Formats: sequence, structure tokens, C-alpha cells
Amino acid sequence: MATPALRIAEDGRHDAPALPPGRDILAGLPAGSVWQAGRVAQYPQAVHPTGFSALDGELPGGGWPAGALIELLLERPGVGELSMLLPMLGRTPPDRWIVWLAPPLQPYAPALARAGVPLARLLVVRPERPQTLLWATRQAAVSGSCAAVLAWMPRIDNTGLRRLQLAAEESDSPLFLFRPDTVAGQASPAPLRLALAARGDLLEVRLLKRRGPPASHPILLDVRAADAGPCDSGTLADASLRSR
Amino acid sequence: MFWLAIHLPAWPLQVFTRGLQAPPPLAVVAPPPRGTILAVTPTAEAAGVRCGQRSASALALLPELQLKTRDPARETEALAEIAAWAERFSPRLSLSPPDAVMLEISSCLRLFGGASRIEQALRAGLTEMGFDVRTGCAPTPLAARWFARAGLSAAALSEPIADKDSDAPCPSDAPAPGPAADGTPEPEWMRWLDPLPIELLGDDGSCDAPTLALLAGLGLRTLGEARRLPAAGLARRQAQSVGRTLARARGELADPRPWFAPPSRFDHGLVLPVPTHHADALLFAARRLFASLAGWLQARHAAVDLCTLVLEHASLPHTTLELVFGAPSHEEARFTLIARERLAATQLTAEVSGLRLRADRLVHAQAGSEDLFGAPAARADATLLLARLQARLGDKGVYRLSARADHRPEAAWLACEAGCGPLHPDSRAARRAHADAAPTVAAEGLRPLWLLPEPKPVAAARLTLLGEAERIETGWWDGRPVGRDYYLARDEHQALCWVFHTLDAPGHWFVHGFFG
Repeated sequence: MATPALRIAEDGRHDAPALPPGRDILAGLPAGSVWQAGRVAQYPQAVHPTGFSALDGELPGGGWPAGALIELLLERPGVGELSMLLPMLGRTPPDRWIVWLAPPLQPYAPALARAGVPLARLLVVRPERPQTLLWATRQAAVSGSCAAVLAWMPRIDNTGLRRLQLAAEESDSPLFLFRPDTVAGQASPAPLRLALAARGDLLEVRLLKRRGPPASHPILLDVRAADAGPCDSGTLADASLRSR
Repeated sequence: MFWLAIHLPAWPLQVFTRGLQAPPPLAVVAPPPRGTILAVTPTAEAAGVRCGQRSASALALLPELQLKTRDPARETEALAEIAAWAERFSPRLSLSPPDAVMLEISSCLRLFGGASRIEQALRAGLTEMGFDVRTGCAPTPLAARWFARAGLSAAALSEPIADKDSDAPCPSDAPAPGPAADGTPEPEWMRWLDPLPIELLGDDGSCDAPTLALLAGLGLRTLGEARRLPAAGLARRQAQSVGRTLARARGELADPRPWFAPPSRFDHGLVLPVPTHHADALLFAARRLFASLAGWLQARHAAVDLCTLVLEHASLPHTTLELVFGAPSHEEARFTLIARERLAATQLTAEVSGLRLRADRLVHAQAGSEDLFGAPAARADATLLLARLQARLGDKGVYRLSARADHRPEAAWLACEAGCGPLHPDSRAARRAHADAAPTVAAEGLRPLWLLPEPKPVAAARLTLLGEAERIETGWWDGRPVGRDYYLARDEHQALCWVFHTLDAPGHWFVHGFFG
């Protein structure tokens, strides 16, 4: 798991030993208030490690940001998008839900159980109307009782996206929004946008948008390795978040 | 003893206008043979409608006036509702029909920090429930009632009354000797009795109308003047009740009161003055009932996990909504939240003219123990989210998944009802379910994360098969046999999918799932 070169503790002190003059003033400011070019932004809130060190290294803060809308753009289900999230879902703390809203296909319980996802805390919500779907997504996000919210919305307008982003900011859990990859060119208020595609056995992740310098090259992840059994990193008890 | 009286001014009217911010012109009339007006709303009064008028003359003054016949049953019920709610302050209370509730609070003064604190809390709570109340305190029930009627609260009287006189000899248990008898100066609260108007004597039927007419004929205006009348003279004029009533009020004569026995189930209603079908208006009215339910539960240290809200229609059968709260709760906010979702998702057949709330299955409330490190609040939230989603989307819209021990892929999972609460990961049922599922899962090959609802036919030319076949041939015993060879395959979009061909027709390929 990659650790950023400079780590800023919560009380504002830095633990890097020697810094050039001026830098320590910057480093002494509260985390997230000043962004320096060339450095990937740090999130003020906690982040959830993705379970893939290559991806952690490219994401601001080193994992899925809690309290943010994360857009995942893919052409069709089945490219490996769920496998990418399995390590995080497997670390769901007790008394928290994982909510799946309007999944396009049927989530298959035996495979999920085998990957370590706690089925007892997985809620599948299938609203009938798009407005209800948006409402349910917002409620799940702001309730504060979800470890992760996964919503599939083929059609959502900018107002809806903005609402979801605001709802996600109120919460302490990531809100994953799955959308078709045709919207990659459109603007979005989501602070993190990823385009996913299958490349052979690997999953190609392109970071379309992140807080920090634009990512130059796509990341290839071997997400299927996690399919073979329960994820290696961390047991259920090890549900603590890495917080900056 | 120290008594706090809750007086409800214009009570026959209040049961109809309960919870309205701006009541429409409305008057309550006596039952048919007389038909005179008993109480009117301010808007009607502004138009000239007065108590004591005939209903016909009132209608002539204000044609849009709504007339309601007095409903004593509803008044009694609402009085009991107030008493049940007020049990949170004192276990000893007494109904004083037609329009007052008495609380004996001497034992709770220290807990709540004085009589005026209790009064404030009572007023705030009852206002929230939609009632207009006046309160008064005194060492005897009758005096407390008179103070409440006259609008003299403990704050208006001097505050020490609550503290000094609560330790005074209990007048209604053992009649104390009159203050004049042993020469001590009479307490301050008794002096406050004297200037009260003489009409209060007839307040709860202790003095009849001829007696009051007699006193009025004598030119008496206040209770103090009546007290100074010679007892022998009153007795000769058949008016001994005056002396007795005053003695009861001053604590010189015992005044026993029957204690209120609280109902074992909650069943209260309110009537909407204007029938409506707006969810917001209904919710606003229902909040009165939820506040009352919350108080009733709190007095019992109990909680409910479901209750019934009945929407009463004038001519059609009533609509009944089951409110499921997900977890035992006694919080008004949670009741309101779930009711809002249910009302938003309900199609009403007609306008609603009344509401009724019933709760009878009580659960012992878990005393919320605060954890030093953890946050027990989060646990409560988890059930709240599920209850909200279920209330809005119905049981079909929210479900959970469980694995079954079956080799047929489509039979190896089950959508189970999300249930009322979260299946705790440590619960025995969850562990058993996990233990059941584990062996079969371990024995099988790879399984996809996405399953198609129905296997979809696909052309063999588009697939690149990977690996070896996994044969699943089972299910002959329940009429849905399968005989299939499953393969991993890659389709033309590079997606990894799970395909099979049946053993009967080897050339026909189907996609059954995707490795998402």
C-alpha cells in the first residue's frame, strides 16, 4: 500500500524532518486548505483504501474518499467494476449497510459471500421511478449508517448530480455512481471520475478527474485475483479507516 | 400535598380546533333541545357571534359559520389523553371533568426543579400537542383549579409558594386546623384566593345555580366577601355548599380525589375541522398524536415498533396505515419521519376528516446506555434508514440477499425480505446461514458476481471459451431439472462471462452471468 511522501498529522504538525524555509509554513496550514501544484490533493476526511496499491497511489489521499461522489463510467456491466470494489466492501464495519440501488443485473449472492461481502448487511433497493431512485440514493447517503452506497443511474441530469454530491459531502461514506461511458465528455460536479474498461484479464482504470495533476497513463489492475477467495487485506475486525 | 391544575379554556371548542394555527369561524352548540352556542372561535366572535345565542341568530350574523354539536365523549377522551401524557411528570393525577386535569406534584418538585419548571414543560408539551392550556398551583386541588381558571400561574404568584407550602400539612388527607384558629397568619396563597370572582364557586358543580344567584343577589363579587358571610345565615338559606366549598379550597375540609388509572393501550384520535387530502396537512395533525404517544410511552418506559394510523373518511371505509418503525422506538421524530414516507406513498381514496392512532403492542424500552468509545446512535440510524426505505418503497422495493445450498445457479440465491431490523452479523441465525452456505460455495468453481435474470441465447462464434467445463446436472426431484456444462468465456466486448450449453442441445449457448 503506497504511503504519500509527506504526511500531515491531524493537529497540523508535520512529521517530515527537514523542510526548506517557506515549505514548513505551507505544511503547517490545516490539511487540504492549500494545494501545491504537482502534489495530489489530500482529503480532509477519511479515505477507505481500495485494496489495490497501484490505484491507491494515484487517488488523492490514497483511497476512496469518504463523503464524496465517485463516478465510475463503463460501457456495460461485467468489465470488473464490482471486483474492484470488493476489497472495500469486504471491510464493512458492523452495523453499517452496503446499499445497492437499481443494479442493472442480479447481484449473485454466492459469489458475493465468497468474496467476503457480508450479505446480512447488503440492501438491494429497486425503486420503480427515477425520482424515487434519486430520493433513495440521497437518503442512503445522508443517513450516516452506510459503509458504501452503490447506485446505477443511466440517466441523471446535472441538478441530480449536484444533489448527490451535496448528499455525499454530508455523509462519511463514499457514494459510487455507475454511469455509461458516453457521458465521459460531459461536465460533472463529482470530485473523482474514473472510466473503466476491460483489457484482457485486467481492468483498465483511467482517471478522468481527480483533485491534483491530471493522471497521464491508465492504471491496469488485476481485479480477478481477488475473485478467487476472500480478500487478503484485512479481516472484518480491521475496519478502521485510514485518516489523515 | 401540592397540586398543579391544567385547565383547558373553551374545552368544547378546543377538541374541534385542536392543532389549527388559524381556526375557521366555528361554534359549538349544545345538544339539540336547547341549541344555544357554548363556545366560539375568535374569528366568529369578531363577527358578533356570542355564547348563549341561538344557533339560528348566529347563522344570520355569519352565514359561513360552522356549527358543531358538543361532543362530551370526545372531550373525556382528550382529557384522558392529556392525563396519560402528563404521567411523565407525576404518577399521581386525577381527572376533573369537564375541563381540567389535576397533578399532585409534591414528590416531583425537586426532580424537575420547582413548580414553575413543571408548568413551563407542561405548557410547551401541551401546546405541541395542539392544546391551549392554563395552569395553576396550590396546596389544595380546588384552589389550584381556581388559580388556573383565573390565569394565576405559579410564576404570577410569588415563587416561594412552590417551595415553602409544599411542606405544609397535607390538607386533603387530614384537615388541618384553620389558620385563624391558632392565630398564625394565613399563608400567602390563601390571600390570593380572596379576590377571585364568585362565579368560580360553581366551577365543578359544587354550588348550584340558585345558590350562585342568591350570592349575586346579595351583591357579592369575590370569594373573600362570600367567606365573611355568617355560616348560620347561609344555612338558613339552603346555601351551606358555599361554606363547604370554600373550606375545601382553603384546606380546612378534606377533598379526596380519585386517582387516574392510565389505559393499557394507546388509542386516540382527533378530528380535522376541514377535510383534506394533503399529506403535509395530515402530517401536521398527526404530529399531535405522535407527541401524545411519545409521552404515553415515556411514562411507561416502553416503546413500540409498529402502530396503526387510521385515516377516517366521511363516507368511505377508513384507510389504515401500518407504520413500522424498524426498531422499538419512543421518539416522536422517528414516528413523524416514518409517517411522512408512508403518507407520501399512499393514494387516498377520499378526503380525510379525522385521524386515529393506535398502539397496543408495547416493547420494554432498552435504556440507552452510552458507550465510552463507540457511538450507539449509529446503530439506531441503521434501522431507521431501512424503515424509511421500506415505508416509501414497500417491502418489494427493498430486499436482502442470502445464499442457499443448491448447485443450480438460479436456485442458489434468495431475495429475502429485509425484515424489521438488521440481521446482526453476530446473531446465531446469521452464523448458521453462513455456515450452511460455506461448504457448497467452497466446493464449486468460480461464480459470477452478476447473474442474468434469465439465461440469454448467444451465438457461439462471439465467444472465446476459457478453461474447462463445469457440469451441473441436478434438480430432478423438484421438477426443475438442469443439465448444463458451464464455461468461462470472453465475449466480443472483452467482458468475462459465464456461459453454458445444455446437455440435450450441445450447439445452443447461453450467457448466464458476468464476472463484474
